[in-house]
Amino acid sequence: MTVIDFHTHLDSNWFERPLIDRDSFIASMDRCGVDIACIFTLMGFYTDCPGANDRLAAHARAKPDRLVPFITVDPKLGAAAVEELERCLADPIFRGVKFHNWLQAVACSMVKETMLEVLRRSARAQLPLLFHDGTPPYSTTFQIADLARWVPEATIVLGHAGLADYVYPAGQLIRELPNLYACYCGPKVGDLRYLLEAGGAEKVLFGSDFGFGDWRMLAERMDDVYEAGLGPRELELVMGGNARRLLRLPESAAAQGRPRNAS
Amino acid sequence: MSQGRMIDAHAMLGEENHLRLEADELLRRMDANGIELALARPMGSELAVNHRAGNDRVTRSPSRIRGLVSVNPWFGQAALDELNRCRDLGAVGLFLHPSRQGFMPTEPIVDPIVGRASDFGWPIMLHTGTYIQSDILAVAELARRHPKTDFIAGFSGFTDMWFELPGVFGSVANLYMDCSMIWGVAIEEIVSLHGSSRVLFGGAEPRNRYSVVLKMIGRLKLSPEQLRDLVYNNAQRIYRLP
Repeated sequence: MTVIDFHTHLDSNWFERPLIDRDSFIASMDRCGVDIACIFTLMGFYTDCPGANDRLAAHARAKPDRLVPFITVDPKLGAAAVEELERCLADPIFRGVKFHNWLQAVACSMVKETMLEVLRRSARAQLPLLFHDGTPPYSTTFQIADLARWVPEATIVLGHAGLADYVYPAGQLIRELPNLYACYCGPKVGDLRYLLEAGGAEKVLFGSDFGFGDWRMLAERMDDVYEAGLGPRELELVMGGNARRLLRLPESAAAQGRPRNAS
Repeated sequence: MSQGRMIDAHAMLGEENHLRLEADELLRRMDANGIELALARPMGSELAVNHRAGNDRVTRSPSRIRGLVSVNPWFGQAALDELNRCRDLGAVGLFLHPSRQGFMPTEPIVDPIVGRASDFGWPIMLHTGTYIQSDILAVAELARRHPKTDFIAGFSGFTDMWFELPGVFGSVANLYMDCSMIWGVAIEEIVSLHGSSRVLFGGAEPRNRYSVVLKMIGRLKLSPEQLRDLVYNNAQRIYRLP
């Protein structure tokens, strides 16, 4: 089974807090048995998206078999955001798009024309778009799910499957909307079974939010899956199969046989 | 992980959307994980509106499950009467959910409820982490108004109020941390800044699992004494358990 973490952050710092570097990040993946990580910016949500995108691409080029970078643009910039998206879409190393509307301080409906353009162009490039969800006022699960209705051909991922307070509607929404997925990143074991029953095992992807703290954060989030008692098929889909499909990764893309469930 | 005696300071009984747990199943999970005692509160309709049923459920469970009862402060005298009834049933604490029950922790209707719980010597856990009513800083304000009562931040602001934790625990001495949903790094930070006397192990069953929380606790860089505070001593002390 190839393990793909669909939600991590690899950046130098979060304001005053230094974050772990790439070597420590990869070592943590090895320790916990993660083959591939989708990497997002953190400071790029606030400033200098192009610089953040370039840094993520450089990380991925240094570890092309382990790190998959996602593009972030600032939709408040209108046409400049679309231009930055296009610049990154021209680089095949990027395999997804990440927004964090809460930290980016804008609801998608406030910049709807720009977001429609971003969603359509990402859909044409067959890149999934992952949005932070579960946090008012700009990132409620309902706000993010609505994007799947705006552009049905786009693949939209709830970045936290409802997080703390929106898990129940997250399950309802991934069942309702065929192009809406849930990244199980934050909810707990009792929520996972519900998400799988509500949306189907093909609609739920493992994510950790790793990048904060040390390897233990990653191990904790993996426990959230491994302690849920999933069957082999569900486990394979949640831990990697669904991510591989959305990212259009070849079967040979990941190393095998790394340790599992670090203690 | 083996930490000796353990008290779960936050379990939930009843049914709420996709979550459900009966007392016998909670006991089974406690036995499987070496939990001596669990403090359980109602959930779902028995937390939001049918308080008497929920309070009966948690106080009439087997003796290894002790009741954190709940009332809605908007019911006024009827809520106080229900607290009296619960005291006679052996409740050990009060649980309030400002979001589900529709009040701001600093509203005047809350003070008589807090006063009655204080008269009984009960700690008070309030749900935190849901924006507006369940703001962890609003719970801190309530704790400042009632400095002789122990308050527990249920779920410790999980998730996006976590960055308030170091400041809020530093400024309010009678506020405690429920470790049942939060990640290990946050617990270590609170212990390093404010000591180990204000952190409580909880399983958040049935939403979380003992196995997950105990693995997380087992990875914490804490001394054996600090771990004992977390998993047993603090709950035993503030809930005055035998």
